[in-house]
Amino acid sequence: MTEEKKSKNSKGKKKAGKQAEEQSQLNFKEIEKAVTGVQDWDSGESGSSDFEPVVSDGYDSLTDTGSESVQLTESENEGDGVRDSAYDVSSETDSSEDEVAPQNTVGYDAPEESDSEDDDAPEESDSSEDEVPPRNTVGDIPFEWYREEEHAGYDPSGKKIKKKERENKLDKYLEMIDNAKNWRRIYNERDDEVVELTKEETKMIRKILKGMAPHPEFDPYQDSVDWVKVDKAEHPFPDAPEPKRRFIPSKWESKMVVRLVRGIRKGLIKVDDKPKEEDRVYLLWSDDPNSTDRHHIPAPKPKLPGHEESYNPSLEYIPTEEEIKSYDLMYEEDRPKFIPKRFTSIRSVPAYDKAVRETFDRCLDLYLCPRTHKKRINIDPESLKPKLPSRKDLKPYPSKCYLEYKGHKGPVVSISTDSTGQWIASGSKDGTVRIWEVDTGRCLRVWELGEAVQHVAWNPSPELSILAATVGQDVFLLKTGFGTEEEQKRVDDLLQFQSQTIPDASGGSENIVKWSQDDIHGGIRLNHFKTVSSVEWHRKGDYFSTLMPHDILFSILYWFLFWLLFSATKLVKKLETGLREVSSIAIHAGGDNVIVGSKDGKLCWFDMDLSSQPYKVLNCHKKDINKVAFHRSYPLFASCSDDCTAYIFHGMVYSDLNQNPLIVPLEILRGHASLNGRGGVLDCKFHPRQPWLFTAGDDSVIKLYCH
Amino acid sequence: MPKHYRPPGKKKEGNAAKYITRSQAVKYLQVSLSVFRKLCILKGVFPRDPKKKVKGSHHTYYHTKDIMFLKHEPLLEKLREMRAYEKKVEKANAKRNKAHAERLLSRKPSYKLDMLVRERYPTFVDALRDLDDCLSMVHLFASLPPSKRENIEVDRVHNCRRLSHEWQAYISRTHKLRKTFVSVKGIYYQAEVEGQKVTWVTPHELQQVLPDDVDYKVMLTFLEFYETLLAFVNFKLYHSINVKYPPILDSRLEALAADMYALSRYFDASSKASKMDVEDVEMSEAQLTENGDERAELEESELRLAQLQHQLPKNEPGALMHLLGEAEGNEEDDVDTIKCRNLFKNKKFFLSREVPRESLLFVIPAFGGTVSWEGEGAPFGESDQSITYQIVDRPTQKRKFLSREYVQPQWVYDSVNALILLPTEEYAVGRVPPPHLSPFVDNEAEGYVPEYAETIKRLQAAARKEVLPMPGVGTEDLVDSQNLLVEGIIDRAEAFEAAETQRKMNIRQTQYHNELRMELKGTQYSSIINASTQDTVERRDTEESPSDSIQTAKDADDMSKIGVSRRTRGLIEAMEIGNKKKRSRSEHLEKRRREIKAAQQS
Repeated sequence: MTEEKKSKNSKGKKKAGKQAEEQSQLNFKEIEKAVTGVQDWDSGESGSSDFEPVVSDGYDSLTDTGSESVQLTESENEGDGVRDSAYDVSSETDSSEDEVAPQNTVGYDAPEESDSEDDDAPEESDSSEDEVPPRNTVGDIPFEWYREEEHAGYDPSGKKIKKKERENKLDKYLEMIDNAKNWRRIYNERDDEVVELTKEETKMIRKILKGMAPHPEFDPYQDSVDWVKVDKAEHPFPDAPEPKRRFIPSKWESKMVVRLVRGIRKGLIKVDDKPKEEDRVYLLWSDDPNSTDRHHIPAPKPKLPGHEESYNPSLEYIPTEEEIKSYDLMYEEDRPKFIPKRFTSIRSVPAYDKAVRETFDRCLDLYLCPRTHKKRINIDPESLKPKLPSRKDLKPYPSKCYLEYKGHKGPVVSISTDSTGQWIASGSKDGTVRIWEVDTGRCLRVWELGEAVQHVAWNPSPELSILAATVGQDVFLLKTGFGTEEEQKRVDDLLQFQSQTIPDASGGSENIVKWSQDDIHGGIRLNHFKTVSSVEWHRKGDYFSTLMPHDILFSILYWFLFWLLFSATKLVKKLETGLREVSSIAIHAGGDNVIVGSKDGKLCWFDMDLSSQPYKVLNCHKKDINKVAFHRSYPLFASCSDDCTAYIFHGMVYSDLNQNPLIVPLEILRGHASLNGRGGVLDCKFHPRQPWLFTAGDDSVIKLYCH
Repeated sequence: MPKHYRPPGKKKEGNAAKYITRSQAVKYLQVSLSVFRKLCILKGVFPRDPKKKVKGSHHTYYHTKDIMFLKHEPLLEKLREMRAYEKKVEKANAKRNKAHAERLLSRKPSYKLDMLVRERYPTFVDALRDLDDCLSMVHLFASLPPSKRENIEVDRVHNCRRLSHEWQAYISRTHKLRKTFVSVKGIYYQAEVEGQKVTWVTPHELQQVLPDDVDYKVMLTFLEFYETLLAFVNFKLYHSINVKYPPILDSRLEALAADMYALSRYFDASSKASKMDVEDVEMSEAQLTENGDERAELEESELRLAQLQHQLPKNEPGALMHLLGEAEGNEEDDVDTIKCRNLFKNKKFFLSREVPRESLLFVIPAFGGTVSWEGEGAPFGESDQSITYQIVDRPTQKRKFLSREYVQPQWVYDSVNALILLPTEEYAVGRVPPPHLSPFVDNEAEGYVPEYAETIKRLQAAARKEVLPMPGVGTEDLVDSQNLLVEGIIDRAEAFEAAETQRKMNIRQTQYHNELRMELKGTQYSSIINASTQDTVERRDTEESPSDSIQTAKDADDMSKIGVSRRTRGLIEAMEIGNKKKRSRSEHLEKRRREIKAAQQS
C-alpha cells in the first residue's frame, strides 16, 4: 500500500515542476509520511492538467468491508480551484441482502475520463502503479548515489539525465526573501523540482497533522439518513378515539365511598386504626395446669428480720459505744451490716436510706447469682456420731486410778509384769530397775545399773523368773529370786552355766555380743557393740531378742536356753499403715489382729484376714503414741501417748470370721503429768489376769488403774 | 492426644454441652447484652453453678436449655421489633417528617407478659410462693418519687400504689394478715394466703431517697414483671371472693365521686356484704392517693357525700361492723383466720394525725376492728362515744375521753403479733413503750429469749387459760433471788437457800408442766414416772461435780468422735462451731442484759 502511495505522490509532484529544489524548508519526506494513507489532490494552481482517479485508503477500507462500490465523481473547476464533488450513492445493494449498510459510506467517483497526458487509465481500478509513469526515469534507486553528481541518472537510451543546474546560494536566498510563498515550496528530490503547495494542500496537511479527515468538505458528523428501512414496527399506532369512561367519574368508586361512609357512620368501620386495647388482666390460673417440670431452682427468700431490726429493740440488742467503735477496726466482711438503733416512738423513725439500694441488691441477686441445689443439714451434730454400745455393758475396764508406785527419781521408761501378776518390774532413766508388789505398792528390790534403763522385760515363763533389762550397750539378765526354791535353783544354774559355754555357741557372732557373768547384780551381762533399745522374750520364755536401733543391720538375736542360735527372717505380709512414723505395735492374743501406734497420734487396727489396709484408724491422741498394748484375756487394748493420757478401748474380736471386730473407745485415763511437754505416759501394760492397766509416766510415777 | 479432645463428628457431652457461658449465649441469641438481661429478668432465667466449669471459673454459666428457652420466646422477636420501631421514629425525626413520626408514635408496639407469668408460675400457689419480692418491690415503688432522670414515671408509681392497695385490701378484707413488725427498714407484714406465707415490707411513709449508684433500668424491668404478676394475682384473689376486678378504675378515681357512688351501689347490688369493706378501703385509699391533688378538696367533699349517702340506708354508724358480722357468718375459715378476725372485734379505733395511717388502716380491719381517722372523709369523728381505742403518738394528749383508751401505735402491732389484747398501761401516751420484738424469730431456736417475749408468753398463756404457772410461784419470785443477792439485801447462805428452793421449784414446775402436757396428750402415768426417774438418774449422773462433769462430757464427746470418718468429723466440728457462735451470741446478749439491769439498779 505504501509503495502505491509513494508512486501516487510522485505523480502529483511531478507537475509542480522542478524549480525549487533545495531551498524548501519543508522536508518533503516528512510531509510525505504525513500524507501517507491519504489520497493526493492535484492542485489546480500548479497548472498541471493531469488528474488521477484515486480512491482514498480510508474509504478504500470502507469499501472493502462493504460489498458495494462507491464512486466519486469530481468535476474540476479550474478557475477558482474549488472542487465540486457530487456524491453518487450507488444503490447496487439489493434489499434482498439484509446487511446493515454502512450509512456513511460515501465515496468519490472516479473520473470518467481522465485527461492526463501520458497516462490512460481506462479502468476505474485504483491500482495505479503503472498508469502514471514517473518523470524521473532513473528508476528506483537511492538518491544518495547521484547526490554529488551533475546528473540524476540515465534515461533508457543511456544518456545522462541532467539535474537542474544549481543556483547559487545568494540567489536562492534572495529568492527566498522575495518570494512570499517560499514557505509553501517543497523540494522534491526524486523529480528534482520544487513544488509549491496550494492553499488547499496546506490546509489538508494541517488537517492531517491534526488527525482529521483531510478533505475540507468532508463532514464526519453528518446526519445519518435512513436510506434503507431496516425493520417494520410491530404494532400500528392506535388512533382509536379515547373512550368515554375516561372522562366521567366512576360509579363503583362512588358506591364504595358511600359504603365506607355508611360504615363509618354506623361505627362498623373505625377510622382510628390504633391497635385495640385488650383486657390487661384476666383469670390466668383458671384451670389446673399440668405442671411443667423445668429444672427450676427457686430463689431463696430474703431473710426475715430479727429482734435487732426493730425500731424499738430491747436494750441488750443495742451495741455500746465501744463496740460500735470496734466495728471500724474490723474487716469489712466481718463488720455487722446493720447496727441496731432505738427510737422511742414510731413517729420519730426516719426513712430508711438504704431501702432502694437493698431492693436493688436483691434484684441483682435474683438475676445474676448462680443458683445451685445445696444440701443443708439442719440436724443435731450428735446424730452424726455412730451409735456405740453403752460403756456400762462393756465393763470391766480400768477407769480409776487405784494405786501409785512412787520411788523412781527419773522418768519411768518401761514396765513389765511377771506372769503371775503379782509383781511388776520397772526401769527408769535414773538407772535403777525396781520390782514392786502390785497389791501394796511396796518396792521389793532395786538394782542400780548405773546407766539409764531402756527396757525391762520379765520372762513370761512362770518357772523362770528372770528379768531382762537393757542398759546402754548391755543387756542384763537378772535373777529376781521369786518362786519356789527349786525354781530359784534352776535359774541360778542357768545363769551360772551360760558363762562357760557361750563362746562356743556364739560362733561367728563374737563381735556382736560378749557374754560375761555379772556378780554385782547376780546375773549375766551381754555386752553389745552398740546401744540396745529393747529386749523381748519369746512367749514360752525360751528365747529373747534384742534390738539395736543404731545398727544398720538391726541385728536380731534369737537366743535360747539351749544355746542354739538362728535367725528366722521371712517376709510374710506387708501392712500399709499410711502413717508417718510407727512407734509401737501390739499383737492380739488371737494373732490375727494387730494394732499399731504412730507418732502422729493415730492408732491403726489391722485385721490380717481382712486386708493389708487398716481396718480402722482411730485418731485419738493429740501427740505421739508411745505404746500400745493388748490385754491377754479381756477384749481390751490401750494406748498411751505424750499428751499425758491413756485411752482404753474395747476391742472385741469375734470367732465368727464374718463379723468384724468391734472397737469402742471406753475411757480416757488422765493423771500423769509431763514436765517439758514431751513424754507424758511412756509405757502401759495390762495386768496379765485382771482388767487393770499399769502406766509409767514421765513424772517418775507408775499408776495402776482398776475397774 | 489431649484429654479434652473431641473428634470432629462427635457431639459435646457433659457439662460442656449442658452449660453455656453468658457471652456465648448472647452471641447465640444475637441480642445485645442489655436485651439479654431484660429477657433473663422477665423469663426468670438465672445463671447456674456447674460443678465443672468448662470455660473457666471466671465465666457466668447458663443452662443451655434455659438459653434455648429464651430463643423460642416470642418476646425476643418483639424486642427486636421494638428496636426497629425506635430506629424508624428516630429516622422520621431526623428527616423532620413530623407527621410520620407522630403516626409511628401513636402505634408504639408493646408486649404483654401474661404468658410469661403463666409460664413461670404454672399454678397459683407457685405465684404466691414467689410473691415476697414482688410485693416488697411494688410497695417500695409505690412510695418512690417519680423521677424523669431515672425514668420512673408517674403512671407506674400510681399503678404500683393501686396494686399494693388492692393487695392490702384483699388481705385486710379476708383477715389473712398474721404478723406485723415495725422495723427501722420499714413495716414488715406476713400474711398467709392459701397456705403460703407471704412476707413483704413497706417503707415508712416518708420521702424516699433515690441513690445514684443504682441501675434503675434493672429495677424497672423487674418492676414490669412484678406489676403484671401482682395484677394477675389480685385478679385471681378478687375472683375467689366474687369481687370484680379491678375494683375501682383509675378513670373513675380521677372523675367525680358520683361514679364512685355508682360503683358502690353496684357492689351493694351484686353482693351486699362482701363488697362493702373492700370498697370502703378503696375509697379511703383513693383519698390518700389524692391528697396531693389540687382538686382534693372538692373530690373529698364529694367522696364524703357519697360515703354518707352510702351509709344512709344503714341508718347507723356501726353499719360497717354489722356488715362485717354478716360476712363472717358466710365464710368457712380456718382457726387462725377466725382468731385473727376476732381480735379487734367490736373495737373502734380512732387514729390521730401523727400515726402511720395507711399501715393502721390496713392492720386494724384485718383483725376485725373498725377504724376512723382524723381528717376529711373519715367514717366517724373523734367525738364518737363508741370509740374504744384512740391511737396517738404524741408526747401528751390534752383532751381525753374517759370512755376510751389512749395507746401508742406499737400497741396495735404488738397485740396483733401476740394475738391478744395486751394491757395498755405500758403503751400509754408519753411513755416509752416496751421493746418491740420481731414475730419472725423463734426465740427457743435462737437460744435467747428477750424479757418482754417471756412476759407476752405469760400473758398469752393467761389468756388461753391453759397452763398457768404453779399456784404460789410468782415468776418474779423465781427471778428475784439473784437480784436480791446482787443488791446485798440477803446474805450468801440465804441466797443459796433461795437458789436451792428455786431450783426445786423449777424442777417441780417443769414436772408439773410436763405432766399437764402428758395429760393433754393422753399418756399413761406409769410411763411418766419412768421418764421422770430416768430424768432424775440422768441428772444425778450429770450433776456430780461441775469440773468433773465437764471433763467427762468432753471426754465422752472426744471418744464418740474417735471412730468417725474424717469427713463426718469435719461436718460435726463445723456444726459445733456454728452452734457455739449462736451460743456465744446469746450469751453476749445475756451479759448485756445483766449489765443494763445492774446499771439501772445502781
